[in-house]
Amino acid sequence: MRKYLRLAAIQLRISLASAMAYRANFLIEGVMATASLGLTLLPLIVLYGVRADVNGWDLPSALVVMAYFTGLRAVLEGLISPSLVDLVERIRSGSFDYVLLKPVDAQAMVSASRYEPWKVFDLLGAIALLIYAFYKRGSAPSPAEIGLGMGLFVAGALAMYALWIVCAAASFWVGRLDNLMYLLGAIFDTGRWPVMVLPGAWRFIFTFVIPIAVMTTFPAMALLGTLKATTALATIGGTFALLVVSRLVWRAAIRSYTSASS
Amino acid sequence: MKSQLSRTVRALPTLLRIGVAETVAYRAEFIVWILTTTQPLIMMSLWTSVARGGSFKGYDADAFVAYYLATLLVRQLTGNWVAWQMMEEIRMGTMAMRLLRPIHPFVTYTASQVAALPFRSIIALPLVVILLVTSASSGVTHDPMQLAMFPLSIAMAWLITFAILFAIGSLAFFLTQTMAIATLYFGLFSLFSGYLLPLDLLPTPIAKIAAVLPFRFTLSVPVEIITRTLPHGELARLLAAQVAWTVALIAFAVWLWNAGVRRFESVGT
Amino acid sequence: MIVAKDLKKHFKVHKRPPGFGAAVKSLFHRTYETVKAVDGVSFTIERGERVGFLGPNGAGKTTTLKVLAGLLHPTSGDATVEGFVPFQRSPELLSKITLVMGQKSQLIWDLPPSETYAMNRAVFDVPRAQFDATLKELTELLELGDLVDKPTRQLSLGERMKCELAAALLHQPTTLFLDEPTIGLDVAMQVAIRDFVRSYNQRHSATVLLTSHYMDDVVALCPRIIVIDRGTLIHDGDLRGLVKQMDPDKRVSFTVTTPLPGGPGCDDETLAKLGTVLAKDGKRITLRVQERELPSVVGELLGTLAVADLAIEDPPLEDILRKMFGKVHK
Repeated sequence: MRKYLRLAAIQLRISLASAMAYRANFLIEGVMATASLGLTLLPLIVLYGVRADVNGWDLPSALVVMAYFTGLRAVLEGLISPSLVDLVERIRSGSFDYVLLKPVDAQAMVSASRYEPWKVFDLLGAIALLIYAFYKRGSAPSPAEIGLGMGLFVAGALAMYALWIVCAAASFWVGRLDNLMYLLGAIFDTGRWPVMVLPGAWRFIFTFVIPIAVMTTFPAMALLGTLKATTALATIGGTFALLVVSRLVWRAAIRSYTSASS
Repeated sequence: MKSQLSRTVRALPTLLRIGVAETVAYRAEFIVWILTTTQPLIMMSLWTSVARGGSFKGYDADAFVAYYLATLLVRQLTGNWVAWQMMEEIRMGTMAMRLLRPIHPFVTYTASQVAALPFRSIIALPLVVILLVTSASSGVTHDPMQLAMFPLSIAMAWLITFAILFAIGSLAFFLTQTMAIATLYFGLFSLFSGYLLPLDLLPTPIAKIAAVLPFRFTLSVPVEIITRTLPHGELARLLAAQVAWTVALIAFAVWLWNAGVRRFESVGT
Repeated sequence: MIVAKDLKKHFKVHKRPPGFGAAVKSLFHRTYETVKAVDGVSFTIERGERVGFLGPNGAGKTTTLKVLAGLLHPTSGDATVEGFVPFQRSPELLSKITLVMGQKSQLIWDLPPSETYAMNRAVFDVPRAQFDATLKELTELLELGDLVDKPTRQLSLGERMKCELAAALLHQPTTLFLDEPTIGLDVAMQVAIRDFVRSYNQRHSATVLLTSHYMDDVVALCPRIIVIDRGTLIHDGDLRGLVKQMDPDKRVSFTVTTPLPGGPGCDDETLAKLGTVLAKDGKRITLRVQERELPSVVGELLGTLAVADLAIEDPPLEDILRKMFGKVHK
């Protein structure tokens, strides 16, 4: 266990060093984070400029969902995506073989191979949005709600990670899949809206099939105090199940890779 | 010069055929690219849900469906990933190979992107059918002139998109952070082209800016042509503006490319 | 110790003929054929041996190596490395072996090799003191100097290979799988790497399995040679044995000086009596001579014909292999 922590620490150090290497990055990332936040908010502003309420969601509560979406996306692009891109590259160049030769679990090793530290700006933006939303609401969440909200955020991140592993495993079978991260990003985009706002069929798909909306809507509801305990438990259980499934898929992918590669 | 042109023309069928073969070889990757352009569907479901409570700023549910289906259609037919392709080639070092060929890379890249069109059209076809057959057809124009100009507008939108992405790809000769620029471009594109929201729904100051930027002509203009009723004077103005942007941006892209290649040849990767 | 018993590895490969129609068809339906990369290979290698795998391209050498390293599951047959079954990839085994692939790099591209070394130290859980000592030894042996602090992409091919070797040996493995380690390198670097591998093998009693296209690598480094062609093992033994078996005749080369007055000249007739003329390069002549005739031929050359720079050699390995594979291919 300590070995894995040490590995992650080294990877973080390396990624930080790379990130600091270009001072221009600082400015660019700040600008991108702001622009991205603005773009995300715009449809909301347009919508709530005309309507006060959509399917039971008013502007502040929609902002909370948006904040969770932004925060999760920061985690996706900062902690998860970079490693995925790295993995796909390794498979393409053949140096993934070297990963299999190390006495470390391959999934752990590829999951922690690279980070984008500058995405912390997006995370800060998410937190700012959250504070603003509750300011607009005129009330703050209780400690219990905050705890549950944080817990579900972590669950959401883990579920996102599990989905990522499944996509990475797909690239073993299919060969070249360099634009995988764009796919994940596109699917993930649906999480910016409270799932109740979407019509019936989509609501079902994004709750049970590709639970993206769940990752953002339910934690937001927890913070807003409208989440049922059973739903919270189901979400956590679902996350756990997703992680197990993703592990199985990964192992199947490795089995396939070591039987069919040349 | 003349022989260069004739050589290029003669090579085109082969270039296109190989482009198709490439697209097919990486069919999974291709599907992924198609899937990434499904944001309009999400938006459509959102806004139709909203519009069910009453028409929103002049758009009823059918109008939203028509708009976003048209957006999807145009996006499928104009989307290409040449910037990403160029960045990869420069990074991997295979750009040098492309420069050694006696045909201008603008043409070879165009060919490989155009080669994807048959497949994209297969995706687009169901959309057209849905547009024409369902209730959304009320959101589609019946003016024969507009319908006739629609393919022309799409072709120009394709060229403008390609030119902009080609220019961004050329930036990779100068900068290392072109990925960030490409992402920024897509952000701007999704806002100012009408991909995210119909341009007339945007807050007025933003809508004003959007009206003069080229992004509008990569998506919104063809969509407007097919979904609105436009007086022919307006139609002609839009098309003329599109032509102007097409020419200007192609010229800019080729100029930037040439500058980039000069730098590439003097500095190396 | 490495044991392979009737090892087989077959692959399914997608076949697509050229042309537009075929391209579209392959969107919907793909045809596969079976490639028998390794088809029944058996051998036993003791601890500390240096063994070279030879064979033409596509013979199955790299595939065999990958099966032994645990990267591939064999289709059938058994393999054990140091008592472990390789494809189970137990951490204990992985800490004892290493694989170096000349065509693929494990060094992080944008960063100095020292960062990869730090990674490997963490991954293999090497104690600090031992790591420092090993790195020092490797740096000296490979003459790395300050190469380890330059980003990998800035190193030349030879420098990269040296750093690559260091990265592979930081955990002091006792079995080395080397797949074309000298590919693309200049002669001086090839020699340096050969010397290094031999020295490592002697210091640590490490078993070395080497595949190479360069005969010199194998000849210089490996007393034992395993020849694989089309997935089957066609020779397993020492180099001299292989040579003797395939071509027992010797090669005699010499330089012609002015003929002795009164004695026969070095014309074709004279030469034909001595043996078969293989090459005539100006004044340098190479003959093929049967072993039992050597004494008389040499006597003749040195005495009557008074040649200079006489050399007696085994046939070149290339010729042997060409002959061997020519035999199999029919």
